[in-house]
Amino acid sequence: MAHGATKEFKVTWGMVIDLDKCTGCGACMTACQVENNIAPMVDASNKMRTLSWMLVFELSNKKSGAEAEVAYLPRPCMQCGNPACVPVCPVVATEKNEEGGIVSQIYPRCIGCRYCMAACPYHARYFNWEDPIFPKGMEKALSPSTSARPRGVVEKCNFCHTRFMEAKDKARQEGGNPEGLADGAYMPACAEICPTGAISFGDVKNKEHKVFDLAQGKDAFRLLEKLGLNPQVYYVSKREWVRKLGDNYAATGKPGAAKKHS
Amino acid sequence: MGLDRRGFVKIVVGGVAGTLFTPVIWKSLDDVSIWSQNWPWIPRLNKGEVKSKAALSKLCPAGCAVKVKTVGGLPFAVVGNTANPLSKGGVCPVCAAGAQLMYSPARVKSPMKKVGEGKFEAIKWEDAEALLVEKLTALKGQNGKIAAINGDETGSAGEVLSGLLAGLGNSGCYMMPGEKFVAEKGVKLMGGSGQPGFDIAGSDLVLMIGADALDSWGTTVANQKAFAATRPTGGVATAKFVYAGPVLNHTAAVSDKFLPVPPTATAAFALGLANLLINAGAVCSAPDFAEYKALAAKYTAEEVEKATGLKAESMKELAALIKAAKAPLVIAGASFGQGAGALDFVAGASLNVLLGRVGGGMTLLPAAPKAVAGAGASDKDAGSFLADVSTGKAAPGVLLVYEANPAYALPQAGDMAKALGNIAFKVSFSTYMDETASLCDLILPAPHPFERYDDNLNPYGVAKPTYLAGKPVVQKPVADCKDPVDVLLGAAAKLGLSLGFDTYADVIKAKAKALGADFDALVAGGIWTGEAKGGSLNLGASALAKVAMPKADDKTLALAPMSNQAYGSATLATPPANLLAVRDTELSGKDLFVQMNAATAKKVGVAEGARVKLSAGKGELKARVHLNEGVAPGTVAVLLGFGRSAWDEFTKGKGDNVYKILTVSDEAGTGLKVWAGSTVTVAKV
Amino acid sequence: MDRALFPDGVERCSFGKFVLWMGFISAFFLFGLYAMLLIFYKGIVVTGLDNYFGFGLWITFDLAVIALGAGAFFTGFLKYILKIDQLKNIINLTVIVGFICYSGAMLVLTMDIGQPIRAWFGYWHPNVHSMLTEVIFCITCYCLVLVIEFVPLVLEQKQLNKIPFLHHLAHNMHVNMALFAGIGAFLSTFHQGSLGGMYGVLQGRPYAFREGFFIWPWTFFLFVLSAVGCGPIFTVLCCTLMEKMTGRKLVDFKTKALMGKIAGTMLTVYIFFKILDTWAWANNYLPSVGMTFDQMFYGVIYGKWLMFTEIILCGLVPAIMLITPSIRNNPTLLYTAGILDCIGISLNRYLFTVQSIAMPILPFDNWQFYAPNWAEWATSGMIVAYGILVMSLSYRYLPVFPQERGMNK
Repeated sequence: MAHGATKEFKVTWGMVIDLDKCTGCGACMTACQVENNIAPMVDASNKMRTLSWMLVFELSNKKSGAEAEVAYLPRPCMQCGNPACVPVCPVVATEKNEEGGIVSQIYPRCIGCRYCMAACPYHARYFNWEDPIFPKGMEKALSPSTSARPRGVVEKCNFCHTRFMEAKDKARQEGGNPEGLADGAYMPACAEICPTGAISFGDVKNKEHKVFDLAQGKDAFRLLEKLGLNPQVYYVSKREWVRKLGDNYAATGKPGAAKKHS
Repeated sequence: MGLDRRGFVKIVVGGVAGTLFTPVIWKSLDDVSIWSQNWPWIPRLNKGEVKSKAALSKLCPAGCAVKVKTVGGLPFAVVGNTANPLSKGGVCPVCAAGAQLMYSPARVKSPMKKVGEGKFEAIKWEDAEALLVEKLTALKGQNGKIAAINGDETGSAGEVLSGLLAGLGNSGCYMMPGEKFVAEKGVKLMGGSGQPGFDIAGSDLVLMIGADALDSWGTTVANQKAFAATRPTGGVATAKFVYAGPVLNHTAAVSDKFLPVPPTATAAFALGLANLLINAGAVCSAPDFAEYKALAAKYTAEEVEKATGLKAESMKELAALIKAAKAPLVIAGASFGQGAGALDFVAGASLNVLLGRVGGGMTLLPAAPKAVAGAGASDKDAGSFLADVSTGKAAPGVLLVYEANPAYALPQAGDMAKALGNIAFKVSFSTYMDETASLCDLILPAPHPFERYDDNLNPYGVAKPTYLAGKPVVQKPVADCKDPVDVLLGAAAKLGLSLGFDTYADVIKAKAKALGADFDALVAGGIWTGEAKGGSLNLGASALAKVAMPKADDKTLALAPMSNQAYGSATLATPPANLLAVRDTELSGKDLFVQMNAATAKKVGVAEGARVKLSAGKGELKARVHLNEGVAPGTVAVLLGFGRSAWDEFTKGKGDNVYKILTVSDEAGTGLKVWAGSTVTVAKV
Repeated sequence: MDRALFPDGVERCSFGKFVLWMGFISAFFLFGLYAMLLIFYKGIVVTGLDNYFGFGLWITFDLAVIALGAGAFFTGFLKYILKIDQLKNIINLTVIVGFICYSGAMLVLTMDIGQPIRAWFGYWHPNVHSMLTEVIFCITCYCLVLVIEFVPLVLEQKQLNKIPFLHHLAHNMHVNMALFAGIGAFLSTFHQGSLGGMYGVLQGRPYAFREGFFIWPWTFFLFVLSAVGCGPIFTVLCCTLMEKMTGRKLVDFKTKALMGKIAGTMLTVYIFFKILDTWAWANNYLPSVGMTFDQMFYGVIYGKWLMFTEIILCGLVPAIMLITPSIRNNPTLLYTAGILDCIGISLNRYLFTVQSIAMPILPFDNWQFYAPNWAEWATSGMIVAYGILVMSLSYRYLPVFPQERGMNK
């Protein structure tokens, strides 16, 4: 894939996360970990070694007292339209070529060079530092949807891809159209569990899907849009300071600076 | 025909070259690449049909109505039950980790008998039950000699426990602290009776004073759903949420407004608001309105500002917002779900009376029918009981601990653990090896929520009488455990008592019947709801007369314990799967971070990352400082749930336990033990 | 006692002294070997690398030694293709230095990847769009070329050369060396460039990202230029160090000064474009992604002084020194310029590797800090020790320096 080019798909799975509704409870992180068989870490406070496909960042407006505000920002993989990580992989262990636009990660092929991690500005990619060893017996509670990865490979959120396959299978069995799933027929674990429904999920190119309008709303934005990676994850906030934290504006001081390069 | 050297080389070279043209080598290379994924120590996935079964997950204090996904009969994930109107498809972060918690390394695997300091021996169930019966038999009929501590305020198990004790001639059944207990006292002070409820969904402005309603107060998931319904993504919000409390917590993060109020000033803040509302024309027909008005007049916004640092302007803006709302609702509670005084509750609830919202926003639930005939009221608190034990005022010989962890989760936890030592024989009914179980003489492992029958009546906060029940998701528990209620009923039978039931399932069926609910529908994930009762409340003015304006103190800081539901509760240490959610500004390695704003830190003379010692009473807490501008002035916020001394390698020894430095005081006029307004001294180490 | 193995007509230290020296260096080698085995056994969790710093000391070390080892291909190119005959005096040394640098870098890379047993996937599942694929291809191929260039030198060892077959083999290889030098130059130019390209294509890392020509970002060309701007002088420094240690003259100063001139010329071209590139990056590219030049730096350890040290003190200054004949022809100043040059290029590789990923790109993120731990230092030290061992053996037993006999009479 050439740099700077966005590959177009008929179906583009995307998320719209309402930051004004996210309480930061962490249920999405737990659901993600459970769905994707990420072994618990004894010291998970060392965030430099954790595996968090879904990570909730804490944003602050840096004011104090009654002026103080915080916002929580859940960060899955952005499944960029023009991913920085895919073209750099030396062994084609990550691709963006399936209908739906999900950036895949092929664990048995990954050599663990971590070049993709250096490429991703969202820190959505994680190196598996240790083998997935679960506390004795807990492997009986493994989810059947994702194989456990050995140490030494890079892993990341794939919008719970197995659920996508299952939704398509179900559509086929029920005589529906697997290439045109109904809104809600396919939901990643984080979107499904979120108690405040802050995470909406669907095909951002399908007018029948709720996210179609949400992604185009006036308060919608994407992270680091100016880098031109064209993420498929959108955020919504009515708070300007939150929207401003979605990209770098230091050069101009204001959002909406013209993009010079392509 | 001989093979000379040249011929040999030809064969070898030809053979190698020839092989390269066959798929053999390439296929093997490919296989190697796949095989390198499959080391024998990489766990394999379970196979089988994937099913989804309704369950009642009481891992969190409020209980979540969920669906458990199983593969080949083994639970692996928890998803919301969209058909259940209480949780509407939501799941809290603790219950989300429920399947994995079945295999927690901290689970008690079989009945255990203490054989020495910190040493246990696995024993058979029949021996364990015989031992229990023997100890109970010895003290039967001597009031005060047998006591029980119950940590489950919504289950019918409490009735069985209380009924059994009554049958043994004892009345010492004590509850672990919670909001329900305090709120009911508060309602009494306002001339009413019953458990109060709060209709968040039916309000257009929700003011939460202290109560962390969107993370850990009341029926959290239901509250979150009600909140979410008022703010469609991309649409216009239909209700306002305001949080007034000591910390910019999860609730405050999504609220329209946050007012930093120290935990010592909850009641004063509410009265200040009452004053502003009355000045703006609010009146009500409560008989004590005049008295109330006079009382509130002392709490001018300026006075409150002087005492708390909260800007008078902020309060005035809030009063205007409330005035403009059609259906405002005030919820008052402690920021960590316990320890608040009845006066804090009354001060908050009086605003609902003043605004004419009793019956609408704030409701009163009718008394619930009991399933067990001999069961008494659950209105005695475990903290006072253990305080009596430590002074010798109470001297039980046997203590039964059900789903409670008093050695960890009572104020001055260190003293409480010591007090337990004064009791000769302690029995713990617990799923996990918690701090209390590790001090007991007999541990009778309880099943995990997905392995047992259980019920949930009127979890605190619901606006209408509500009943949920659940049945086991799995055929056989992971550990060699038995339902505690079944054990108690069996013991009762052996002691010659009949409580009218053989199993917990029977108790729950009877309860459902008494309520007029359908047991089968309930355990299939359904819900029963009744109607709130009518009745009015007064403003509680005579009780509120005892409220004092908090005084700023140079030497101490107000202590604001904070609860993040994901990090566990009194009876559950942080689930392994949730450790990821704990921030590195909250816990780093074994260091807990306490939080305060920069101005407070400057006053105390500490900087970001400094090691400090917090002390109060006989307790001490060691931590490091994290500056957080969302903490009220003069306040230090400390997360609950750390500093475990039992459990497993995921939690043991990480951070420190804030319960150790909570200090109990007597609330003026009500006689209640309170600790929400604890203060501490902070010293650099 | 091993005198019979020495090259004709030269003196070497006593065998006992040599063994002591080799033993001393082997201690470092063995400690590094222990760290390496531990890394293979437990994985790179034993290193100081983490979620933010997937690249660290190892990659910096690799990039630096590959740049410093560039003397081999560029000198080979000048000697065999452009026929600058004087370079024959140092060409053997450049090959050995190149071989050590490349084989060492490859060894580090197998440690650095999380799944060493899949190291060959670069060939098995190549992604033709990845600069790293290109690097894997070229480095492995070029390492083979260096082996081919090194072999005749080994075969010319006095005793081995007495075997007619080996003698003729070495001779024939020498005859065809121009071909290998050509292949080497081609491969090396590409992977030196691709190493720069690796960073330049990182769209998500404003510190490193550069626009460019066709599929190659400007860093591609800058890395090639900077490598040839330091490789030749690094060989000179190695040679001089060996002279100081052995007390023998090995290469005449004229040849060294010529190497200095070559490096200086290339460095001058490089630094000219580097300054242009930095200017354009700061004034054009960074504002286009909403960032400022100042935002690229933080505190002391990520301060601007690093960039100024790299470009001015260790770039512009040695470039001027090396292209000015009067300075270049003074040995002390030549070596000083050489050292500055090598530091500057290594610093460039460090900044592209570490600073570009330490910088917060998400506006709500923070600068991150990285310190290599003992396992990374030990294994990097192992490569240095390995290089010293190979060089010591080569010096003692192989006819590396054609001028040595004449200059030490």
